[in-house]
Amino acid sequence: MQGSNGTLRDISRRTALGALGVGIVGATVASWPRLTGTDIPGRGDNSLSIAIMGTAADAAARQKVVDAFAKVHPDIKVKVQAIQAVDWKDFFTKILTMVAAGTPPDVVYVATEGAQLFAEKLAHPLDDYLRRDADHMREYFADVHPSLVEAFMYKGSLFQLPIDWNAANMYYNTTALKQAGLERPADDWTYLDFRNTLAAMRKARPSDFTPYYWTNRLFGGVVPWLYANDTSFLKETKSAGGRWLWDGFYANDPTRGMRSGGYQWLEPNANDPKVFESFDFLRGLVKDGLGVRPEEGGGNSLVGLFASNRIGTTPAGGYWVQGLSEAGMKQDDYDVQFFPKWRTQRHQFGTAGYAIMKTAKDKDAAWEWVKFSSSLEAMQIVFPTPNTTPARRSMVNERLYAGKGPRHWKVFYDTLDRFPSTGPIPAPPQQAAVETALMKNVSLAVSGDERQLKSALDSLQRDLEFALRRQP
Amino acid sequence: MSTASETRVRSKAVRGAAGKAERPGRDGRSGRERQPWLPWVFLAPTIVGMGIFTVLPIIASVALAFFRWDIISAPSFVGFDNFAEVVQDPTVRVSFLNTILFVVVAVALQLGLALGLAIMVQEKLPAWLRVFFRSAFFFPLILSAASVSIFMRYLFNEQFGVVNWLLSLVGIPAVPWLTTPGGSAAVVILVYVWQNFGFSFLLFIGGLASIPVETYEAASLDGATGWRKHLHVTLPLLSPTTLVASVMAIINALQVFDQPFVLTRGGPGDSTRTAVMVIFESAFQRLEFGQASAIGVILTLIIMAITAAQFRLSKRFVFYQ
Repeated sequence: MQGSNGTLRDISRRTALGALGVGIVGATVASWPRLTGTDIPGRGDNSLSIAIMGTAADAAARQKVVDAFAKVHPDIKVKVQAIQAVDWKDFFTKILTMVAAGTPPDVVYVATEGAQLFAEKLAHPLDDYLRRDADHMREYFADVHPSLVEAFMYKGSLFQLPIDWNAANMYYNTTALKQAGLERPADDWTYLDFRNTLAAMRKARPSDFTPYYWTNRLFGGVVPWLYANDTSFLKETKSAGGRWLWDGFYANDPTRGMRSGGYQWLEPNANDPKVFESFDFLRGLVKDGLGVRPEEGGGNSLVGLFASNRIGTTPAGGYWVQGLSEAGMKQDDYDVQFFPKWRTQRHQFGTAGYAIMKTAKDKDAAWEWVKFSSSLEAMQIVFPTPNTTPARRSMVNERLYAGKGPRHWKVFYDTLDRFPSTGPIPAPPQQAAVETALMKNVSLAVSGDERQLKSALDSLQRDLEFALRRQP
Repeated sequence: MSTASETRVRSKAVRGAAGKAERPGRDGRSGRERQPWLPWVFLAPTIVGMGIFTVLPIIASVALAFFRWDIISAPSFVGFDNFAEVVQDPTVRVSFLNTILFVVVAVALQLGLALGLAIMVQEKLPAWLRVFFRSAFFFPLILSAASVSIFMRYLFNEQFGVVNWLLSLVGIPAVPWLTTPGGSAAVVILVYVWQNFGFSFLLFIGGLASIPVETYEAASLDGATGWRKHLHVTLPLLSPTTLVASVMAIINALQVFDQPFVLTRGGPGDSTRTAVMVIFESAFQRLEFGQASAIGVILTLIIMAITAAQFRLSKRFVFYQ
């Protein structure tokens, strides 16, 4: 090394080793919070750690509700941790990784897709808390449809309170409809009416346009068609129990008798002739150029394509409104209608809410967060714009959709009232494996001839048997 | 100009470098004898790092293959059950077959393209353009495979992708790239080769530069021209480079994950599902960590067997100058 006096300075091995040692110690001290994981929100300071799916911006957006919570519970410190993920399956994978690493959050925002996985293995039931705070919670349940609550029942216990939800309704582009010379479809339009609508749209716009765009996912893919046709790819049953909830909070609800201790999906049902019939209908749409061949997990570009008038219809829920508005769609550029009727007009929905982890350090504090998050005050802070459908009926109002549309926004909540058998996404504890099995066979089922469809459904049945072979 | 002290320092440094460890000290013992622990001190960071981050995970992974574990519950010993289930699972079998087919096609394309372009760039282009193309062909490799795949997914979209739009300009109807087994396999291979051939290309460029010009001159004198020169001179003399390039390309291709996962999620059906994808799905989607480890162990054995076979064959087909 060149010294300041222009001569070479002799750095001894001892000096070099010493410098290296100091460097290592310095680096270790500087990165100690990272090495020990104390920089993870909620660790090391006893604060309640809340995991949500989203970006750091989403976590920051929740700060207002955290501040409001702090006013009510100044003794409970809360930290919101946003976890980026492609979809819910990816989000749950990351939560499980946190569990494996010994750093699980205390509370997790879980959608229907993971509700039973969490209920079976990770979450703490809310039953005792609900019984204890029944008077306080009565107002919440009076404002939330029982179908949403039932989706979070598992083996007779309630594990989450629905905060937001979305049904698979049918969005349509009003311009495309007008170009096809059609009026808004009737509330009870059938799958054949739907097909005729697509055919008219195709005739009016032969190129650079897709009358029906759908994705290959658990929500909004093939399942709404199966539900409408009074079937599903899994056999749906319901477990006993739960009377404490329905009698306690929904005593006057006319649908109380049909409520249960929760959904169960224990066996595959892909070989049901009605499943074949539903897939065959979709295959016909693809074959005749009325619908796309769905890509696996697609949908990222859907808002842009719909907003640029290149898609006629697509199944989606209230979560689309804000995105379409931001993409430049005006209130009258699109509208929404119930999903078409087949043997039934049962819809598919997905909902989400907070689950308290079994490993939560302070479950009482976690319950206070869950309870506060379900309050009208908190939900109004969290959902200022229509980027989802709030679980509280009173919040789905003219003011939420003002200036953004759609004109018939009432369709969103009316779906539950008009069709009380409307059911959640079929998501047993083995949801990830079930979803993979479904997704991988849908494209093949709707892309070839009848023989290929039969073969794909046989394969689906086998894959589902494999996925469900171990029951909890 | 050197000073006297500088000279002393230099001579001391030279002596040290030349064999200080072997030179007896004042007590008559060499440095190694006086401080036998010293090499271990220097090796310790590497040994500890390798131990914690490589050796232990490998051991744990192999051990895990004999347990049933879902992260949440305690693991239970199941002997060889995981291996038995994996072997019987049709999805696993198909994914391994897909992986082998992928390796055969993708590696052949990758090496062929890299070699062809390397010869072209090295022979036909002026020096300044060679630098440009070396960087240009290597560039895709430094991009995130996931980002590239997301981008490609848009390009190959059946309805709205640029590729089909370009094809439509010459009257070719829309190709269902990502929704048919053949189309999706072709896109996965295409994207993978495009992104990875740059590394083999650089290896071949290095190999070509090391072939003596005299050898080509001698071949020319013997009447060899054009492709015959490459067939009889370039390829044999490049064989050591080809061995390295093929070993690395095959090992990488056997572990392909990002491109099929992002582009097709393994579909349609199982047409683009690979061995590493099945490992991921078993572990993080089905929570069968033992089975995932069992598949990992099988894949590792396959990689080791193929690599060993390559080196064994190299004794017959690789020529060293």
